[in-house]
Amino acid sequence: MSLLNVEHVSHRYQTARDDRPVLQDVSVDIEAGQTLAVVGESGCGKTTLGRAIVGLMQPSAGTVNFEGADIWKLRGSQYREYRQSVQLVHQDPYGALNPGITVDETLAGGLRYHRIVPRRETHDEVRRLLGLAGLDTSQAFLERYPHQLSGGQRQRLVIARAMALRPSLLVADEPVSMLDVSMRISILDLLKSLGQSHGLAYLFISHDFGVVRYFAAGGRIIVMFFGVVVESGPVEEVIARPQHPYTYLLLDAIPEPDPRRARRRRSEATRIAAERVEAYPADTGCVFANRCPFVRDRCRTDRPPSLTGDAADGHWSACWYPEEIPAAAVRAVDEEVV
Amino acid sequence: MAEDSLIEVRDLTVGFGPVLAVENVSLSIGQGNVYSLVGESGCGKSTLAYSLLGLVPPPGRIVSGEVRFRGQDLARMSYKELRRMRAQHIAVVFQAAMSAFNPVITIGAQVEHILEAHPEVYPSRQEGRKHFEELLQLVRLRPEQVWQTFESRLSGGMKQRVAIAIALLLKPEVLVLDEPTTALDVLSQRLVIDIIRDLHETLDTTVVFVTHDLAVVAELAQRVAVMYAGRLVESGTVEEIFFDERRHPYVKALISAMPSVTADPASLRSIPGQVPDLSDLPPGCRFAPRCGLAQPICSETEPELKVGASGHAVSCHVVNSELGGKAASELAER
Repeated sequence: MSLLNVEHVSHRYQTARDDRPVLQDVSVDIEAGQTLAVVGESGCGKTTLGRAIVGLMQPSAGTVNFEGADIWKLRGSQYREYRQSVQLVHQDPYGALNPGITVDETLAGGLRYHRIVPRRETHDEVRRLLGLAGLDTSQAFLERYPHQLSGGQRQRLVIARAMALRPSLLVADEPVSMLDVSMRISILDLLKSLGQSHGLAYLFISHDFGVVRYFAAGGRIIVMFFGVVVESGPVEEVIARPQHPYTYLLLDAIPEPDPRRARRRRSEATRIAAERVEAYPADTGCVFANRCPFVRDRCRTDRPPSLTGDAADGHWSACWYPEEIPAAAVRAVDEEVV
Repeated sequence: MAEDSLIEVRDLTVGFGPVLAVENVSLSIGQGNVYSLVGESGCGKSTLAYSLLGLVPPPGRIVSGEVRFRGQDLARMSYKELRRMRAQHIAVVFQAAMSAFNPVITIGAQVEHILEAHPEVYPSRQEGRKHFEELLQLVRLRPEQVWQTFESRLSGGMKQRVAIAIALLLKPEVLVLDEPTTALDVLSQRLVIDIIRDLHETLDTTVVFVTHDLAVVAELAQRVAVMYAGRLVESGTVEEIFFDERRHPYVKALISAMPSVTADPASLRSIPGQVPDLSDLPPGCRFAPRCGLAQPICSETEPELKVGASGHAVSCHVVNSELGGKAASELAER
């Protein structure tokens, strides 16, 4: 039994004009101690998926199961255990902390509510957590308010707060995208080492393949486009040999921090797709058809089958013509540079 | 170098009260260049860019030094002259391109207002509209997508592109872009990068862009200035910034802190510590407390910017004493 699984989840947000689908028949499995990365552009539903997993929102269809039980049917202590086991690390460390309470109280509140440690040990536990997250454990630091912390310190505090409740799954929603470049690796390293030392599973949400490649090495990845999972597979495999045109295009389009690589010509396919970046997702057939540079007639009429639980072991994509996709962008670059 | 320089910044210091956001910065931006100002948040890169336009936001002000555009000192220009310069010579696309539009009138009406205010550029408004349509083509948009549309109906990427087209409307020589690709999705980023490259090539516009993202620098820049805590730490060609032996340790560290899909993940290193508070700076070199190469002298005196033969400038005691002479002689041989 997997630690957490999402079965055929769909969700719609109501807008003034229509009901907009944000998740369409999404199924994922997260095993204990494993990392699942969710990649996609803004509006693809990755944050909504994270919120559904943390239980902050109930999807319109499908179930989210924690240790085999539907989270919306859990009651009493079982529900509390689930809420404690699945914690969220937010994208924005500026908005995720209550500006009116100190570092000490930020951590102590959850410890007391969930009775994690005996009351008189709360103070020691707060210090232990700060140390765990690589923060200062002095009394002066405990008395600080969030506005007195740097972005990196705030994100460490958010992580310490999540760790306070002894989680088994952390949902990390773009945990480094708001931080300066020089801070990112150290926060990713902290999350990685906590994962190893505490046997945590991660749902790691990011728009950045570079960050995912670093953090989720050895794990799995799903790529989402407008609420649909279009590709799923082992991280290295998906990056080296993308099987869905959307994944290929994202990888080919990434700006690279190396002038020799950055100035290579992007494929014609990427140029075409970039110019179709405003096209609406298709209602019938493949959701990516309106933007796909390799689109054929069938793609406009028949929807490729969506991923079901069993395919999750291998490398899978929701594309009728994966053979159309050019050889992987990433490898081609390496050859070019040599 | 000095002959074809369009914008000269000399010993510029910009202060917000006692805090100096930009300190003693000198650089020269050549005509037809693509010049990047890069650094992390709070390093002064945006303040520096806005001072090129005479747009330092109050209470900030230029404390000392000067900015010259074609030899003319901005500080000595009248309000009217500054306005004319901003209208016709230097245009800017702000980071908040998303909120740079009037939400209650159509994009077309906003363009009409600009044309109306500048008959000296377009005696006939018809001609102005025609030019705007060409610019829309350059930013990969069709007039019917934009002209009758309100800002709220455009996506973030479209707004950014419309803002670029509007900035180019009065045919400026220089286009200043503040974080042009930040907050955009990968494919929209790719499009904006291609557009900036195109407009530089086809319109021969000098481009100055501010970014925190070294990948965008690698994609676009010809010359680069790297800022750290209000100081210019290194400036040179993009090749020098990325590959030269004589480089500032901060720049090296920043490049090896960037996760990418191609670089070896095992070679990634984080930079210890954090950017200093500008109101509480360490003595000596501002990067010294985080620097792996720091020597005693680094926390005593602030290093000077030493300029090599090619114009590659580095401000570091260690790098300049070890490699400075060698690199300079090598450059002379080439």
